[in-house]
Amino acid sequence: MTTLVVPRARRTKSFNPWGHAGSLLLVVAGLVVLLPFLWVLLGSFKTGSQLNDPTLIVFRPNLANWRDVISSGILQAAGRSALVGVITVSISIVVGSMGAYSISRYKTGGSATRFGILAAQVLPPAVLVFPFLDMAFRLRLNDTLAAVVIAHLSFVMPVVTWFLIGFFDAAPKEIEEQAMVDGLSRFAAFRKVVLPQVAPGMGASAIFGFVLSWNDLFYALILAPGNAATLPVRIAGFNTFRGVELGSMCAAILVSIVPVLIASFFIQRRLVRGISGGAVKF
Amino acid sequence: MSFRARMMAPLLALFVGAVGYPLLYAFYLSLTSYRITHRWDTHLVGLSQYNDVLHNSDYWSALKVTGTFVFLAVTLELCIGLMIALALQRQKRVRDFTRSFLLTPMFVTPIAVGLMFRFLLNQQLGALPAVLGHLGITYDFFGSGNALYSIILIDTWQWTPFMVLLLLAGLEGLPKQPFEAARVDGASAFYTFRRVTVPMLAPVLVVAILIRSLDAMKVFEYVYAITRGGPGIETQTIQYFTYQTGIQFFRLGNASAMSYLLLAIVLTIVVFLFRRIERSRRS
Repeated sequence: MTTLVVPRARRTKSFNPWGHAGSLLLVVAGLVVLLPFLWVLLGSFKTGSQLNDPTLIVFRPNLANWRDVISSGILQAAGRSALVGVITVSISIVVGSMGAYSISRYKTGGSATRFGILAAQVLPPAVLVFPFLDMAFRLRLNDTLAAVVIAHLSFVMPVVTWFLIGFFDAAPKEIEEQAMVDGLSRFAAFRKVVLPQVAPGMGASAIFGFVLSWNDLFYALILAPGNAATLPVRIAGFNTFRGVELGSMCAAILVSIVPVLIASFFIQRRLVRGISGGAVKF
Repeated sequence: MSFRARMMAPLLALFVGAVGYPLLYAFYLSLTSYRITHRWDTHLVGLSQYNDVLHNSDYWSALKVTGTFVFLAVTLELCIGLMIALALQRQKRVRDFTRSFLLTPMFVTPIAVGLMFRFLLNQQLGALPAVLGHLGITYDFFGSGNALYSIILIDTWQWTPFMVLLLLAGLEGLPKQPFEAARVDGASAFYTFRRVTVPMLAPVLVVAILIRSLDAMKVFEYVYAITRGGPGIETQTIQYFTYQTGIQFFRLGNASAMSYLLLAIVLTIVVFLFRRIERSRRS
């Protein structure tokens, strides 16, 4: 830790074993993160017999797996996942930002509200899923996306609201007070003055919420296992080890991974800030 | 209705609809004989489902498996995560790229991670056993006695980045002066870490451990993708066992009682966490 504050000139002169150990650790960690992805990527271009040779690295790429996986309807499943995510997140952001503003500025409900929102995030999904299933049976919504959206709201909405409370807490109050003095109603001040200030935070929360919804298997598997299956449920269906399907499983894994990886690159720095502003800095 | 109440109302309504009502409904279900195959023939049975669960040795073994999983996975994630967070904080070049890259596993669909590692660690087709084989080592990652540890390693791969994220945010929020003082006093790096970094980081460490533990208790995807609870019931975690009882064996009432008992455990932890947070916020 000492090197953190040692002036640059002195640091370069003396050998620093901690710094080298740190760099080595980061390189090893980077490889541990990278290699499984690379291996699945390679696997998705291998033929059935090539897959039997796990260490084969140089070979002629074959697109048959990708054709198979696309004709199996994986893109439609991805579309359903995206639809569920967008609807869930839209509702969560609209409702959550209003509620979070009320909680941040007016301490609505005191610590009970904050406790409720925090507790909802750690509820075991096994508790809520059976009531959702029974309600879906009664309303004839089983195996529909509507059931999945409602279930996803139960965990996306609290997380999004929690992040937004942190962002509103950090936004200065003076500007909106000035706006109200200038004659805007409180809601207009919220919509036209406050929201633009937290827009980047809202964007990050939205993407984070979307990733949570996109990645969920448990609720989707129970509430919509059939025709309305989302992407994770479809991918779980590749749970087979017949050599022929292994390659398409690799391709299917990549279909689900790539969008979230792209999304994650947009939000990471803001997420670090959001967490230090909201969740950890108690 | 006041402005603050109007702003709060939609959130409250949805919250009650999507969380509050199902929560109460789950309790009601846990008091009934509900079976998916005999839905029309459901009646109240009082606390007998709870009695059933408490005398079910598989439930206790699932709790034990989950407890082992959570303890080992979170410990590993904390140790590795802290080392990586410290290394990242001191890093001088390509900081943004390294951070983004090392955080990627936490965003990946868990079921995809499960299948990816099932394939990667497979005895015949996997790369890691093949490489170990060349070195003369045979190790069956999903064999009896090993499967739970392999699943713990998979969880560590995916969730250490989240630990890093929390700890890095905590480290960067620490004041600089104590480190300056330690340096002036000639403290060694290890001494500074033990006597300055860790005590100042303690609140963040507690929160990070609790958040990760509560999350790790929900482990389901890796088990579903790889072992389905086996070999035997070695990797049958609580979430998977509840799923099996409720969905595969149709015993929804019984499964609801299981999940409510789990909820009691989780709530105890959350109340503890929240008390602590409120106390440190006030001070």
